[in-house]
Amino acid sequence: MSDDKTVQYQRFNLTFRIQHIILFVSFLLLAFTGWALKYPEPSLQHMPWWIKLWGGAKSAGIIHRIAGVAMVADFVWHVLYLLYYLGTGKMKIDPATTIIPMPKDVTDVVQNFLYFLGLSKEKPRFRRYTYLQKFDYWAVFWGMGIIGFSGLCLAFPTKFQYLFPNWSIDWIWELMGVLHSDEALLAIVFILLIHFYNEHLKWDKFPMSMLWITGKMTVEELKHEHPLEYEHVMKENPELLKNPERS
Amino acid sequence: MKRCVPVLMLLVGLVLYASSLAYAATFTCLACHSSMKGKVRTDKGAIIEVNIDEDRFSKSVHGTLGCQTCHKTFKENPHETPGGETDKHISDLVSRISQKAAVDPVAYAACNDCHSDIYKAVLESVHGRNIVEKKQKDGALCLDCHGSPHYITHGTKPMTAAQKLAIVDTCGKCHDNEEIVKKYNFTPDVVERYKEHFHGRKLKIGHAGAPSCVDCHGAHSVKKWDDPASPVSWEKRVETCGKCHPGATKKFVTAITHKPAGPIPHYGEKALIVLTIGVFIFIASHVFLDFYAEVRDRFLRKGKEDSHE
Repeated sequence: MSDDKTVQYQRFNLTFRIQHIILFVSFLLLAFTGWALKYPEPSLQHMPWWIKLWGGAKSAGIIHRIAGVAMVADFVWHVLYLLYYLGTGKMKIDPATTIIPMPKDVTDVVQNFLYFLGLSKEKPRFRRYTYLQKFDYWAVFWGMGIIGFSGLCLAFPTKFQYLFPNWSIDWIWELMGVLHSDEALLAIVFILLIHFYNEHLKWDKFPMSMLWITGKMTVEELKHEHPLEYEHVMKENPELLKNPERS
Repeated sequence: MKRCVPVLMLLVGLVLYASSLAYAATFTCLACHSSMKGKVRTDKGAIIEVNIDEDRFSKSVHGTLGCQTCHKTFKENPHETPGGETDKHISDLVSRISQKAAVDPVAYAACNDCHSDIYKAVLESVHGRNIVEKKQKDGALCLDCHGSPHYITHGTKPMTAAQKLAIVDTCGKCHDNEEIVKKYNFTPDVVERYKEHFHGRKLKIGHAGAPSCVDCHGAHSVKKWDDPASPVSWEKRVETCGKCHPGATKKFVTAITHKPAGPIPHYGEKALIVLTIGVFIFIASHVFLDFYAEVRDRFLRKGKEDSHE
């Protein structure tokens, strides 16, 4: 058992870690620089500090565009990378490890709420990705489609006008603005609550897990947080969970 | 060359004398008007402010002018009438704009002495024609937008976002005034619609590159949008939008109408709000219950959790 605390299990490779870092850096920049435009300050006598911080409204807009392009590029890279790995068979879709939502996720939600409320003594036993992690992951796809697309339209209106039919011009830009800012708010609220609570504020995570840098977690953490992934790896590839020096 | 000297001295002397007269006259007027407080009612029933803030006046763009540069005659007032008859072109102008000036139409026409091009443009604009042709009192003339001529200050070039936003509020004095909007059948809520729009939002957060009303509609020579001379007419709009949006097309420029958003963005936004609130309720209760269970397990049922592993 003592090995569990010291043996590090590799969960995410370098590529995924880099993609995650680009994603959150660009996300934070976009959220900060975009916030001002969603809730513009009525008083102009004093420019609010969160606009001044970026060197004024104009440079905040430029930073917003650069971060937006970085985020979209990161997303495209991620999707191409996955397609390549799936296409060449280096990665296989397995119910135990996949990020794709499965029926078990629904029962996990119910089980987890029962546990929270004290109606069940059993915590749901998670696979490689919990339902919240899956939600978090696919939210990015939703956001990328809606916020990314509307953002491009708003940044290059004279180019993207050709996509829209004549009868939509009266309201399409209005709709793009609404989609962009409201979905961004949803993303910010979601990240602030779920992600910050689960990955930063929770008792055994505070202030954060080093997983995002090393890509590793101890076998003990794996058993605790993703018991079914642990069992899956034990069956398929048990060397990954053992101390290489002792075996 | 030597012969020129006395002539030059004479000229300098004359200029100094003239300006000292103007100064003396201004000083004399201000002796009373800078300390007088309150308002008086004229014979015609207009209520006018009699106080002139000497400090603000002297710092204004017109601070070097004498009072009588504009206030050439006083027909109905307690003062001794200065000067004699007014020029014909001024009295012509006075007759055209007199309904705008409650007190001293001659002074109002005197703007034309220095700003004749702009004055002409205004009288030909939709604002000016409302005064001259339709004889309405509420067509905008100089002071309606620029405020008191005594206190006009220098702007900066290029204008700051705050100055541009002030223009929007200036236009809003009439275009956001319920009575006037109704009387002239204006598009309602244009000011609010503009401020909610990208251009208005950008100005609000201090982006001076965003356009205010006058950047698209024109200022002194403003015309109704369906007048082909207006920069936002269908004939000219591509060019106007193209100043900032190169590649603008006829299709692109129909986007901004300042009319209320149609049903699709409206209900789209409502749907998104419902979605956001729904997700918020789910995740907030999730986080709250998770925290509750965490505290319960860690402090109230210490050790129990590990037992089943």
